[in-house]
Amino acid sequence: MGYRLGIDVGGTFTDLLLFDEETGRMVLAKVPSTPADQSIGVLNGIEKVAALAGIDPAEIDLVLHGTTVATNAVLEEKGARVGLITTRGFEQILHVARSQTPGPLAGWIIMQKPDPLAPLHLTRGVSARMNARGEELVPLDEEEVRRLICELRDEGIQALTVSLINSFANPAHERRIRDIAQEICPDLPVTISTDILPEFREYERTLTTVMNSYVRPVMSRYLTGIERKLHDARLAPTVNIVRSDGGVMSLDGARAKPVNTLLSGPSGGVVAASYIGELAGYKNVLSFDMGGTSTDVAISTGGEPRIVRETRIGYYPVKAAAVDVRSVGAGGGSIAHVPITGALRVGPQSAGAEPGPAAYGAGGTEPTVTDANVVLGRLPPRLLGGEMQLDVEAARRAVARIGDALGLSVEEAAQGIIDIVNENMFGALRLVSVQRGYDPRDFALVAFGGAGPLHANALAQLSGAWPAIIPPTPGVLSALGFLHSDIRNEFSQTVIRTLDRIDASEFAQIFAALDEQARRWLEGEGIPAERQALDYQIDVRYHRQGYEFPVRVHPRQFASEEGLEKFVADFKEIHERNYGFNIDSLIEIVNLRVVGIGLVRKVELQRVAPDRTSLEEAMVETHRAYFGGKAMETPIYDRDRLRPGHIVRGPAVITQRDATTVILPEHYGQVDEYLNILIYPDGKGR
Amino acid sequence: MADLDKITLDIIENALRNTRHEMDAVLFRSAMSPVIREQHDGFPMICDPQGRMVVGQFGSYIAGFIQQWRRGIAEGDVFLVSDPYSCRGAISHINDWMVLLPIFYDGELVGWGSQFGHTVDVGGPVSGSLPTDATTIFGEGMRIPPVKLFDRGKLNEDVLDLILTNTRVPVMNYFDLMAIVAACRTADKRVRELCDRFGKRTYLAACEALLDRTYRAMSALIEKNLPTEPVSFEDYVDDDGRGNGPFKMKLTIWREGNVGYFDWTGTDPQAPGPINFLLNEEMFKMFIGVYLIMVFDPQILFNDGFYPLLRVKIPEGSLLQPRFPAALGCRTHALARLFDVLGGALGRQAPELSTAAGYGTSPYLLYNGYDENGEFFHLMEITYGGIPGRPLGDGMDAHSWWPLFENIPTEYLESYYPITVLEYGSLPDSGGAGYHRGGNGVHKVYRFEVDGEIAVHDDRERSQPWGILGGLPGQSSSKLLVRADGKAEPLPSKISQVAVRKGDILIYRTAGGGGWRDPLDRPVEWVLKDVRNGLVSREKAARDYGVIIVEKDGRLAVDQQRTESERARKKRERGDVPIFTFGPEPEPIGVVREWRSTRALTQSDEPAHV
Repeated sequence: MGYRLGIDVGGTFTDLLLFDEETGRMVLAKVPSTPADQSIGVLNGIEKVAALAGIDPAEIDLVLHGTTVATNAVLEEKGARVGLITTRGFEQILHVARSQTPGPLAGWIIMQKPDPLAPLHLTRGVSARMNARGEELVPLDEEEVRRLICELRDEGIQALTVSLINSFANPAHERRIRDIAQEICPDLPVTISTDILPEFREYERTLTTVMNSYVRPVMSRYLTGIERKLHDARLAPTVNIVRSDGGVMSLDGARAKPVNTLLSGPSGGVVAASYIGELAGYKNVLSFDMGGTSTDVAISTGGEPRIVRETRIGYYPVKAAAVDVRSVGAGGGSIAHVPITGALRVGPQSAGAEPGPAAYGAGGTEPTVTDANVVLGRLPPRLLGGEMQLDVEAARRAVARIGDALGLSVEEAAQGIIDIVNENMFGALRLVSVQRGYDPRDFALVAFGGAGPLHANALAQLSGAWPAIIPPTPGVLSALGFLHSDIRNEFSQTVIRTLDRIDASEFAQIFAALDEQARRWLEGEGIPAERQALDYQIDVRYHRQGYEFPVRVHPRQFASEEGLEKFVADFKEIHERNYGFNIDSLIEIVNLRVVGIGLVRKVELQRVAPDRTSLEEAMVETHRAYFGGKAMETPIYDRDRLRPGHIVRGPAVITQRDATTVILPEHYGQVDEYLNILIYPDGKGR
Repeated sequence: MADLDKITLDIIENALRNTRHEMDAVLFRSAMSPVIREQHDGFPMICDPQGRMVVGQFGSYIAGFIQQWRRGIAEGDVFLVSDPYSCRGAISHINDWMVLLPIFYDGELVGWGSQFGHTVDVGGPVSGSLPTDATTIFGEGMRIPPVKLFDRGKLNEDVLDLILTNTRVPVMNYFDLMAIVAACRTADKRVRELCDRFGKRTYLAACEALLDRTYRAMSALIEKNLPTEPVSFEDYVDDDGRGNGPFKMKLTIWREGNVGYFDWTGTDPQAPGPINFLLNEEMFKMFIGVYLIMVFDPQILFNDGFYPLLRVKIPEGSLLQPRFPAALGCRTHALARLFDVLGGALGRQAPELSTAAGYGTSPYLLYNGYDENGEFFHLMEITYGGIPGRPLGDGMDAHSWWPLFENIPTEYLESYYPITVLEYGSLPDSGGAGYHRGGNGVHKVYRFEVDGEIAVHDDRERSQPWGILGGLPGQSSSKLLVRADGKAEPLPSKISQVAVRKGDILIYRTAGGGGWRDPLDRPVEWVLKDVRNGLVSREKAARDYGVIIVEKDGRLAVDQQRTESERARKKRERGDVPIFTFGPEPEPIGVVREWRSTRALTQSDEPAHV
């Protein structure tokens, strides 16, 4: 039994969380990130966390690594020079995209559209063609293919993508082109669309595949760098990379399909929130991660994060399984302003880390959400356990500008800023809950990120999601989530068929083939049979509807009449929940999918026994804060001294190194045996 | 507004904005026809109790409806209407089914939720219900006057049966209709939640205040952007599908104090064919507002609050105010041209902030028949074209000018319809040259896999989208039907019921956008990039941009010296550039030729209700 280490590389800090498999002890470390080469920060962190824990780094045998390497390459347009081979006549597929311009009317006037990730001059069309049933209309001309690949090679491409019309129905042409490309250029990474996403809708499939190619060389270099640095330090842990859907995969898996890591970081927080919720006794949670520039929200039901198959990275709709995270441009650094219409707006512009909020005293003068919190006394003047002093006067000056524009006092303006930003974040929470047919009142809210605990109570109040749960280490929750990640990958096949035309034995065969692929993959990842689990899903919709829902099935469910009925009932229940109606119409199957899961041993947070520390001993001081327009003497508590069983009555402010928690008047926070704080309204709770 | 503070107002504004997006999401995800679902032809709205739009896109028509409706409005009612003549053009052709849902709280009317969507077929002689040769609305299909689809919560099955019996695709229309109702119910639920949270009085006061906020913003915009002296702009719709055209649309604008005047006098009389656009006055005011507000506070909720600031005149019996029962089905060309004309008229004041003209319509392809299994199919696809050159940059190639519309994936088309798409992209060189060039039009090639019937709806075939401040016009549209035996027949831009045989090929090209500012100033590396990307030819680079591109060591490169002298020569020979560069004015055809020749005698369109 050794140590397991979760690593979350963020924009500013790299968080590390070390878990002792034997004793359950956890050790936390934070080191500055090294954006130019993230692996330097990672290695520094490993050294630091091992030193803090008093162990030899060589005792770490499993590293679970969340990385933003791929995401940054896309957002900063620093990916590879990608060549694309597609069907002749469709060379502009990425350029024309879905033809969409943004709303409202005349929104095209201000649209910014990036160039395709595979440039047009590096795109070639082949004459081969399949129809939608997978029948060959025009055979592959191998001479033509060779010529095109040589042209692209001579143009100096660093990665090649092959994506042909209707390949979801028959990938033969794509596979042959890949083989020819590997023959001609053995070192060139080649990705074919049916390997990444064998599902229909050519633009999304091509884009997702090209994006994979675009980030592949960058990711590969990074992973090789990590391996080399670990080797040089004489360390040999197994390293797994966290996927966007909260699972993990091997380094080789990440090298081949880095497109699956685009939401690697946020997924950890969602997995951890769902775990924290379960510990506290809530299987349905809304996760609420509020940082400096943006807020990510997501939903978990029955202890599992909700997974979606399309997510947006900047301009691009990427079809890859990911936790259903919604992001809004609302964070501690969001700037408040009053346009000529006399409305109060908050964000999406942000003061960022530099110069940051006015209160940070680093030259910022714009009024931000953080400044509003300072004005209201919810962020006490000393942060980070006394390491950072906030400039209250600068914050008041900044917020007063908003007050002047609106004819409000500085405290009223500050409250307005907080209310507006809360409403914006509540809008995002509604998108992942109400709009998916879930009632937020059936959920608990798990708040994390630097600013999450400050706003958690208010968000719970808006959404009715009680309790608001503040985990013990809200600043490093993603790393905790990584420790919890199972190994995971998906294998799917498009079969468009109405329910009256399905053939149970054919489905069983397809599932058997996908099963086989999944098991082989799990074995390749080194997962023994007893830790393998498989999940079967079918994407289904009403005939000709545009969007489908995954329904969980048994692979041989269609052999019996009852199985078929259950399938229909399950689908109708999901349709009803999402759209509020059903109809007597044909049901259509779109994709069959097998999710291969390699179960990891779960990390367990240790229970803390209550002791005799009294709540008074945890109180540091009182100071003046504003709630509902009234100044109130508000106690400030030291989170490290709170013990299970303590009940903190609002109004109260609880400080700790990486976050500050606010409990509003007429609410209370209850500390549980895992040192979570559960916030409820007075008169409610367990 | 005693109990309304500014912050509450902003919160309610945010909540309503979120609701609007939620309505869209519900509709797009649950509708069945590709036109609504994949292409997003559907529009949501939330109104105050008087029917004024608080959030939405098209401006409200509910006030007019409330005035006309005589049979009472009760909680649980849901209204349906599709007849433009019954709602003063609030919807402008019978394919658009509009649902209105009164929202009640504590037994009191607190607002309206509404949504309309384009249904694929509403009966009549031609599949798709958009015959290009109709002469009255009776020749187009079923008109639904305002009816109660739900009466106090109970579905009116008689009405439903009646309307579904009159369409070729009852299941699809039923699905789309229920999706539209579901979207309106979303509005209902959210508005009642806001009343729960803030109180009914506060909510209603907030609606009032939001309207007032737009009023104040628009007042400032009008004073800043409208000229005190009248300025006019005119442009054309090519033809009416019956051999008449072109139809002139002329708009004159000015302001008096903070009130803006928009006068369509000088617009041609209504067309014999179905291209008439019954322009709803409120909707037009909304379009004006949207255009002006985009630059100002793009986060603001557009609403009806500024209507008193605008005076509109639309002459009776004109293309934009046809007399009943004129045919209206193909009004999309005039609707789009309206934006070109509006942009042009406003552009005279500040051309450097304005854009050129775009492909200027919503081109459709319709295809119907019986597939290999003997089942009836009906396909309607909206295509797009060249976006105008704009101050911010080039116009997008083959993109949608309507917001949020999307193309139909080829793999979707080929999975569900007996059609093969052989080519789909943008047409090189079709965008007008400019410092920021116009977007290229669509180039799409279809092969029909069974015998059937097609229809084409497009415009800008005879007139070209104009350029601005030296930018050149975009290329016009064209359609070519290549029969399986190789014989090629050019098709006009508007035609329905064309018989096609298995194996026939249609080459479908839409117009490019006009350019913005002088192409001779466009940075040479941008021109080179376009040429390398195959979006602009070397010939056009030389002809319109004065950029000489040569092959050097197997790669394309700019000949700097020759380019400099070529550009200097072209500038010298050309002289100063006009504000607008139009293509050649289209020759009159059909009855319009006769009007033009007698025009001087009958012109007496004095403003009546300005």
